[in-house]
Amino acid sequence: MTRLVAIFGLMLWLSGCAGVQNALGGDGSEGARFVDLFTFFTIICTIMYLLIVGALLFALSRRRRAAHTVEGRRHHQTSAVVKPVLVGWLALVVVGLTVLTVASFFTDRSNAADARNPALLVKVTANQWWWDVEYSPGDPSKTVRTANEIHLPVGVPVHVRLNSNDVIHSFWVPNLAGKQDLIPGRTTDTYLLARKVGLYRGQCAEFCGVQHTRMALDITVESKADFQRWYAAQLKPAAAPATPLELAGYRYVTTRECSVCHNISGTPAGGQVAPDLSHFASRRSIAAGTLPMGKGNLYGWVADPQSQKPGSHMPTVGLEPDELHSVVAYLERLK
Amino acid sequence: MALALLALSGCDREERLTRGKPLPETVPASAAAHSRPLDPRAAAYEGNAPAIAQGQQLYAWMNCAGCHSHGGGGMGPALMDDKWLYGGRIDQIAASIKEGRPRGMPAWQGRLTEQQMWQLAAYVRSLSGQVRKDAVSARADEMSNTPPMTQTRREPIEKEAVTP
Amino acid sequence: MRPRIVGISAIAALALILMLVAWTLLKDRQPTLGTRQLAQPGQVRAVPASAAAPPDDGNWTMPAKNYAATRFSGLNQITPTNVSKLRLAFRFATGANEGFEAPPLVVGSTMFIVTPWPTKLVALDLTRPTGPPKWVYDPKPARPARGRACCGPVNRGAFFSNGRLYLNLLDNHTVAVDAATGREVWRTKLADISSGSTMTMAPLVAEGKVFVGNSGGEMGVRGWLAALDAGSGQLLWKGYTTGPDSDVRIGPDYRPPYPKDSGRDQGVNSWPPNSWQIGGGTVWGWVSYDPEQRLIFYGTSNPGPWNAEQREGDNKFTSGVFARDVDTGMVRWYYQSTPHDVFDHDDINEIVLLDMPTRGGRVPTIVRPGRNGFMYVHDRRTGRVLSATPYAHINSYKGVDLKSGKLITVPEKHPVQKRVVRNICPGPAGAKDWNPSAFSPVTGLLYVPTLNICMDMGVFNANYIPGTPFVGADVKMYPGPGGNRGAFIAWDPVARRKVFEIKENLPLWSPVLAVAGNVVFYGTMDGWFKAVDARSGKLLWQYKTESGIIGQPISYRGPDGRQYIAVPSGIGGWAGAIVSEAMDKRDPTGALGFSNVTKDLKKRTPTGGSVYVFALPS
Repeated sequence: MTRLVAIFGLMLWLSGCAGVQNALGGDGSEGARFVDLFTFFTIICTIMYLLIVGALLFALSRRRRAAHTVEGRRHHQTSAVVKPVLVGWLALVVVGLTVLTVASFFTDRSNAADARNPALLVKVTANQWWWDVEYSPGDPSKTVRTANEIHLPVGVPVHVRLNSNDVIHSFWVPNLAGKQDLIPGRTTDTYLLARKVGLYRGQCAEFCGVQHTRMALDITVESKADFQRWYAAQLKPAAAPATPLELAGYRYVTTRECSVCHNISGTPAGGQVAPDLSHFASRRSIAAGTLPMGKGNLYGWVADPQSQKPGSHMPTVGLEPDELHSVVAYLERLK
Repeated sequence: MALALLALSGCDREERLTRGKPLPETVPASAAAHSRPLDPRAAAYEGNAPAIAQGQQLYAWMNCAGCHSHGGGGMGPALMDDKWLYGGRIDQIAASIKEGRPRGMPAWQGRLTEQQMWQLAAYVRSLSGQVRKDAVSARADEMSNTPPMTQTRREPIEKEAVTP
Repeated sequence: MRPRIVGISAIAALALILMLVAWTLLKDRQPTLGTRQLAQPGQVRAVPASAAAPPDDGNWTMPAKNYAATRFSGLNQITPTNVSKLRLAFRFATGANEGFEAPPLVVGSTMFIVTPWPTKLVALDLTRPTGPPKWVYDPKPARPARGRACCGPVNRGAFFSNGRLYLNLLDNHTVAVDAATGREVWRTKLADISSGSTMTMAPLVAEGKVFVGNSGGEMGVRGWLAALDAGSGQLLWKGYTTGPDSDVRIGPDYRPPYPKDSGRDQGVNSWPPNSWQIGGGTVWGWVSYDPEQRLIFYGTSNPGPWNAEQREGDNKFTSGVFARDVDTGMVRWYYQSTPHDVFDHDDINEIVLLDMPTRGGRVPTIVRPGRNGFMYVHDRRTGRVLSATPYAHINSYKGVDLKSGKLITVPEKHPVQKRVVRNICPGPAGAKDWNPSAFSPVTGLLYVPTLNICMDMGVFNANYIPGTPFVGADVKMYPGPGGNRGAFIAWDPVARRKVFEIKENLPLWSPVLAVAGNVVFYGTMDGWFKAVDARSGKLLWQYKTESGIIGQPISYRGPDGRQYIAVPSGIGGWAGAIVSEAMDKRDPTGALGFSNVTKDLKKRTPTGGSVYVFALPS
């Protein structure tokens, strides 16, 4: 009895782990259902385990009968208690497995029901080693393109359509749902229903190359009103430079090396093969979770990305100090 | 055991230059094109598998395939044959990429780093079979087009001909 | 007795079976290249719109011959009985050997030739037997423009009007040249090649205005049609293909025939934000004019990039047909033939103004062979589609719903990112590309040079860098069913069916000429200039020119009163790129896929650049 209590307590303690990347977090519908299922499985299996261990200990602790005692026929018969115990055990296993199967079935069914009426479509295309995120609301002129982050309204079922531009990646936001692969040439889907407002972290879960470990996602679950506000801000073109330093940075970014890969809406920079930078400064991290967003990190990243994320496709340009200052100033303007 | 460790320690066939040498410590590609000896960067990039692989990606991203296809040409000349208007050595190719050329080749100076231009030049060299077969990519990243580069016959490059 | 009957009947049965087998094998065994008579020309005929097709004066002053775009000569000296006697009168070598698409123009006793790249204008004196040059106009277009032209540095012709010749240059200039002296009168710059824009189309001059459009749908260029004042060259207005209504020039008079093409600012709303600014819809093909309604008709190119996944939405107003007021440029009606085009099916093909017979009289229509394989007939007053009939092999579209005007597509044939979709017919050049057909009012038939080409297509994320291609697709083309890559057909626009079909080994990239004597002329990519009977399609005469023919043949009355036929010979353009650009045939995706289907072209034709002039012996 004490053991059970101890186990329960342990699980409760583990589930209370506040974490942005916590598979036991259960902050999304699917994630929560899996945590419940996981708990249920653990309890049943723990009970079974304890019964087996108990039986084993009991068998080990029984006094050995003297071998030479003759009690007639009973000498070679098994104890009267073994047969019913065995039958009972078999029944218990069958019932247990059936219960687990049924629980699993109902969990899957509930997850599928969530997928029936998604209110929002988000297209995620994985690249080495960043995430291209596009919101597709149906009206093409209202699509929003961002990178390495997803904002979700709480309580709204979201359909995430997954694709890849190069190799197989895997989309995993532990708090919200399970993993789903992104396979080039094939479209896969996952469905998210966030239940709790908060900040979460996703991670690429399929080895995809040298910087697989630095391919994270910033998920922000917010109220519907906050989400609308964020969406409306994303629809606006990129902010215009306000100071001469920012203007110099704008000129560099939109005509030099940055512009052939990156897109900044409303400017001549129209590259499509690197993260969209239109609202770059409003993100929580740089380079798919490699560095937290901040002035110092921004300087370091722009000056020498290869020292932070060696092998990634952003080259070390070798900016002169004044160019570096102006570029960072302009990037910080892009809220 | 010791022998195995010894053998394994010498494993890297080539150096993967992640940060490259972006600042031109050596002579810029254009000047080197018409002088001998060969630019020392050529040795670092020619036949360097990670450089060629990165060049293959850049070839698609920078729309080189839009004009030169996968070596067959089109708006731009073919890159898989033996005819080179502005020279077929790796430093001459890098110079063409950097400076642009009169009949329509855009100038990439200021839009690509030196390292990226050399990576592209290394890849372009492989299109005509100039590069060791164990350094090239065996398959295209998109719809299969030319025969695999691991089986490409080496095209004889004409003597340096520079057409105005 | 019985065994004998059995034996005889067995032999008889065997013989019958053998004959049946032989017949089945032989009945489909037509010669690979030959004429198939499919039907008789109908009794009821369409006629060209009279205001747009004046009687023939023996000249050829504009590439389409007239505003109705009939490309028909009213001269009737050359007939099926004497065409086999056609002889070369003279040949003019331009000295250039790139793709030669422009037709020679003839006004009085002067022939004006727009040479292949680098473009020059040459005036030949037809009063002398060898046609020596009178003057040469050398505009020297900027050489780097060549690197922005997707499909060869071609020029589709000049336009003669009021003593001047109007011409576009590849580097985005329109020029006016005095036809008597060759001096430049004015030059107007309309765009910059740094954006990837070029100009290749032949201008249309009407009502004192010069109408020109740009090229660059494969370069992320935003398309437009501009009107310049013919006297001064001043820009009067530009009607864009994408963007807000004010840019497209849509106002309260806009009356689209179908609800699907109506709404405010569709040039913005049917695109992701900002995609319309690099969305294509260029105007590189043919413009026709209806003087009665004072409307100009033209089609727009494909949307950019070819990878349609990057541009969700219908992508207005690309791959469709505009009818604009000739004076103000305001759009009267618009029809989108191929919404959200995924195959590079532009809509810039020629638009022929015909009046079609109906029960109640005649309907004023436009007839146009669409790139997507459908022969469209519209009421040219409203734009309403009266019929859309397939004229080639199509498996990527099911048809056009005439009630809603919508094109019904086959979803399995849609290219998907990073996956190759195979056997898509027609290919990106369509059932027919820019090379125009000709209409003969004598036979009532439209003579159409078609392609029989299918493709495999794989799309991927296209990167936008100004001045570089914005495509995102790999294509491999190959011959369609039957193995022939081209087919010359005679189409009855009233009965809506093929009358005869001539299968050609090579793709047909040559425009067509029809003459009143009931002979039709066209050229092949390996240089054969052919004359066929306009009623039956029987080959009457052919002549091997120096290079593949992709330019417009014309007919004119020479100073000596004889009927002459002139044709440019010089392979190039998109289909001929493997020769004119000296490509390597080992890369099947070369020239946006054309390499694979023209692998044998280098063996069949060299480059060239001459005008051949033929006449009957005097």
